[in-house]
Amino acid sequence: MTAAAVDPTVAASSGHTFTQGVALSRRAIIRFARQPSSWIPATVFPLLLVAVNSSAMAGVAAIPGVIPPGTTFLMFLLPAAIIQGVMFGGISGGSELATDIQGGFFDRLVASPVSRPAILVGRLGGAMAFGLVQAIFFQVVLYPFGADVRGGIPGRLVLLIVAVLLSLGLGSIAAGLAARTGQPEAVQGFFPLIFILLFLSSAFFPTQLMSGWYQRLAELNPITWMVDGMRVQVLEEFSPSAAAVSIGVCLAICAIGMLYATRQLNRRLAVAS
Amino acid sequence: MTATARSTAAPSVPSWPLIQQILRRSMTSLRRIPAAIIPVIVMPIFFTVAFSGTFRGLTELPGYPTDNIYNWMVPYACLQTASFAALASAFSLGRDLEGGFYDRLLLAPAARWTVPAASVLWAMIRALLPLTITMTIGIIGGMTFPGGIEAVWWLAVGAFAVAALGSLWGLGVMYRLQRQSAGGLVQIGLFVVMFLSVGTVPLDLQEGWLPHVARLNPLTYILDMARCGFVGTCEWADIWPGLLAIAVGGLLLGWWAERGWRRLVP
Repeated sequence: MTAAAVDPTVAASSGHTFTQGVALSRRAIIRFARQPSSWIPATVFPLLLVAVNSSAMAGVAAIPGVIPPGTTFLMFLLPAAIIQGVMFGGISGGSELATDIQGGFFDRLVASPVSRPAILVGRLGGAMAFGLVQAIFFQVVLYPFGADVRGGIPGRLVLLIVAVLLSLGLGSIAAGLAARTGQPEAVQGFFPLIFILLFLSSAFFPTQLMSGWYQRLAELNPITWMVDGMRVQVLEEFSPSAAAVSIGVCLAICAIGMLYATRQLNRRLAVAS
Repeated sequence: MTATARSTAAPSVPSWPLIQQILRRSMTSLRRIPAAIIPVIVMPIFFTVAFSGTFRGLTELPGYPTDNIYNWMVPYACLQTASFAALASAFSLGRDLEGGFYDRLLLAPAARWTVPAASVLWAMIRALLPLTITMTIGIIGGMTFPGGIEAVWWLAVGAFAVAALGSLWGLGVMYRLQRQSAGGLVQIGLFVVMFLSVGTVPLDLQEGWLPHVARLNPLTYILDMARCGFVGTCEWADIWPGLLAIAVGGLLLGWWAERGWRRLVP
């Protein structure tokens, strides 16, 4: 399918990029909320994994030096739950863009005088909103079970900022894939890769209890640096330096993702016009 | 979608050729669709390496049944990926139901039960791949066989049983919902059963609510049976609960699939 071309400069000159971005974000959020098949797995799976692992591996907390005294394995797993939820949500956002391309909505959007950046901003705004909601949701739901954040309000804020930025980063990579392939299945195929990276990190288990090449790989994995920075806020205290590492990793993912998404979107727009 | 009506008169050709053709078609699809073959090969490698690498430290827990993490995780990874064989079978059934190919299959001049039977059989055959791959990775990683050849036998029984039971669960869901997207529901069911078992740590070391649920989960007993030769020698006490769980699971999930089948083909 090809779209009737509209001069992008006309669309941009309308000066409503922000308004259009907000409107498209709103559409993305409403669409997402109306499709339980998109958000239920993103909410249920991380909770299930945390519930199972915190119960199955509670004994790990007793191994000296693994987690600070007075904390629980559930607290250890809180950052993993947030990242997993964000991961699911970001990929679902990209998958929705692919659905729009497949269903023809994207072409209608391109044919309309909508600003080009707003198309991407709209999608990513939806993913960021979902990431924020999830980070709050997991903190609230797990709190009664003992998942406190020792870093207090600043520590919790760090978790929220990381969640939003990671949503943006993963969402933009997924959006780039969507723009490139136009197939939701291809975007979903990205999920196992992210899951592997998450497993090869300290997200589910302390790296000091791993050994050999696997441990070295996990320690070199940027996801480990991000998770460890979040974990300091949860298990110890608010630490600006640890927060900076986590946020830095997210910003790097965002930069790569945005660059990729913009290039792929421009490519698709060039074909469409 | 409804199945095209066909006379209920006795089938005019034997059932085996139809099963063979369905299996051959499934094999061809697996070879021709890279998206289908990659998870079959990659996921067993990933699960074996990731479970054994990430959770290696669990062997430091007092009372952990083995000091070799591969001996504990390879059977779990094997059964986990055998359940993916069932999931794949459910997805292709959904595709056939959506695309109308299933209706054409039901017109074949053979007993109708051969069509779902072929799905279950295909899932079991496909489970051979993860079984081989997880075992190979495990041996490379240093897995041992304290129970001798019996270890492999009971692991194979467990893997084929999980593929068959998972496939029956998938058939029941797909016959009711008749669309590929219902695969997500099949997946959730399989994941939940896998997670709420003794996958990573034994019952004695679990705390809180999980051991109570895991004790009621039939997969716990199938997993214990599949692991018996890797954590010691296989005793009848390790095996019979697993066989019982397979038999009861087969009856219940068979009934579930049959009821779904009746909705599709009244």
